[in-house]
Amino acid sequence: MTGRRLALPRFVLRLVPALAVLAAALALAGGAVRAESLVSALSADVVRIESNYTGTNIVVFGEIARDAATVGRPDAYDIAVIVSGPETDVTTRRKGRFLGIWVNRDSEVFADVPSFLAVHTTRPAHELAPRPLLEEHRIGLRYLNLRIARASNVPIGDRSNFRAAFLRLRLASGLYAERYGVIDFLSESLFRTSVPLPANIPVGDYRVTVYLLQGGTLLAEQELPLRVAKTGFEQHTHWFAHQYSAAYGLLAVLLAVFTGWLAGVIFRRD
Amino acid sequence: MQVYLPIAELPINMFMVFGMGGAVGFLSGLFGIGGGFLLTPLLIFSGIPPAISVATVASQIVASSTSGVVAYWRRQMIDFKLAWVLLIGGVLGSAFGVWLFGILQTVGQLDLVISLSYVTFLSTIGGLMLFESLRAMARRRSGAIVTARRPGQHNWVHGLPLKMRFYRSRLYVSVIPIIGLGAIIGFLGAVLGIGGGFMMVPALIYLLRVPTNIVIGTSLLQVLVTMAAATVLHAMSTQSVDIVLALLLMVGGVIGAQFGARMGQKLRGDQLRLLLALLVLSVGVRFAVNLLVEPDELYAVDAAPILEPAK
Repeated sequence: MTGRRLALPRFVLRLVPALAVLAAALALAGGAVRAESLVSALSADVVRIESNYTGTNIVVFGEIARDAATVGRPDAYDIAVIVSGPETDVTTRRKGRFLGIWVNRDSEVFADVPSFLAVHTTRPAHELAPRPLLEEHRIGLRYLNLRIARASNVPIGDRSNFRAAFLRLRLASGLYAERYGVIDFLSESLFRTSVPLPANIPVGDYRVTVYLLQGGTLLAEQELPLRVAKTGFEQHTHWFAHQYSAAYGLLAVLLAVFTGWLAGVIFRRD
Repeated sequence: MQVYLPIAELPINMFMVFGMGGAVGFLSGLFGIGGGFLLTPLLIFSGIPPAISVATVASQIVASSTSGVVAYWRRQMIDFKLAWVLLIGGVLGSAFGVWLFGILQTVGQLDLVISLSYVTFLSTIGGLMLFESLRAMARRRSGAIVTARRPGQHNWVHGLPLKMRFYRSRLYVSVIPIIGLGAIIGFLGAVLGIGGGFMMVPALIYLLRVPTNIVIGTSLLQVLVTMAAATVLHAMSTQSVDIVLALLLMVGGVIGAQFGARMGQKLRGDQLRLLLALLVLSVGVRFAVNLLVEPDELYAVDAAPILEPAK
């Protein structure tokens, strides 16, 4: 009872700073003459992984909407589309020589890094906006903040090696990608980009964020949810394996015994 | 044709897996071994995560040993009492192995332990087999008569306490080495994804002096039950048994084994053992090279699993 009575005001209190920020943002937006807004959508809200899944594309398209308050600016519009997957802690290990053999020695744990990250931009990321803005919105892999999860034995000077290795490996596995010049403008205000989702993408809730930039400032942004989910047999199997793991194990054994027995019967020679 | 593996969470070429199962099945039928020590490395080298390879191969071994057990049972060539005693050790060893497997996985040294164990066991066993088969070939050439079993002869094993009588094997021996042997094989099976038949058979023949005609069936039964336990334990502790991958391997394996067995009848025993020794040694050497040569990529990324929200 008391817990419930206490929880409510605390929740309201927590909302206050958020509301203040929102109010400030509204005030700023009202004051400035930025009147562009974004209307965007995805070709699908859910990517279904079925037994024949070998990767797919998700098309992000949108329109830059202008109203009467829009002033003409000399710079062209820039679009950045970021597709990011569920976040998780990732351990990056480095092999070193120990008693003549190569073993995992140092490791660095990066906290809450996206399991999938695709950055599509009109121009190379560093040309779009100043660094702080790029870092805040993860526009460009170079600007991805890799926070270290816990105290590590890796000296400060060595950390950039781990960071670089992490990005290199993620790029190589296809889970991270950065492409520029891949956003097609169908008209002056209509744009479209196709983001490949490789075969090995992790399942979960994704976020697609579209940013409209111009001359180094962020004019508008929009976030769209995207879900990558196993469906049908794949979903049930995964669920069964995790929910009723003992029964799943027994089923695997029964299947094996049956297959073996069947083979024995079919190929019986004596 | 690509098929998506629900637990490994990646697509794989169905015919490649089927082919690997078939090729290893062929060799296992040819040499009368489970083939886990070949299949697990093959899966690892083809990009399946080691944890999933090891756990899934455990279930594949159940399938391949079942058909063998059925055949030997029909011919009454299994010592059930001996198998049960081996199993007590086997299940204990396998539980300990699965427990250690989980710890090594979190510490990040699972791959190292798997590689090191492969190098150690495969080089040792392969070396011994190579030596033995070459000696047998030389002996046969010189015309000497070879006897595998010398019933009158006893070694240190027969001096241990807690003796038990095994009528089917015509054996009166302590249960300590039997449980110990079962435990070691069960442990290795759980950690390495191997049935351990290629270690069990010589140990039963040379250490315990079990008659050769009883050994294979009994060892197969022991492998079957230990690997079944390992499958269930792996499924419970790490959820790493991929049933789709397992099924593909099983079907390929049991078919390949039939052709292998037919081929095996055309070759002589010492020739078979020599080939098997070379095969075992080469897998060991392959792992050793991986450990000794500086890798191209020193770094590796391993992500914590993403828990899918329950539906």
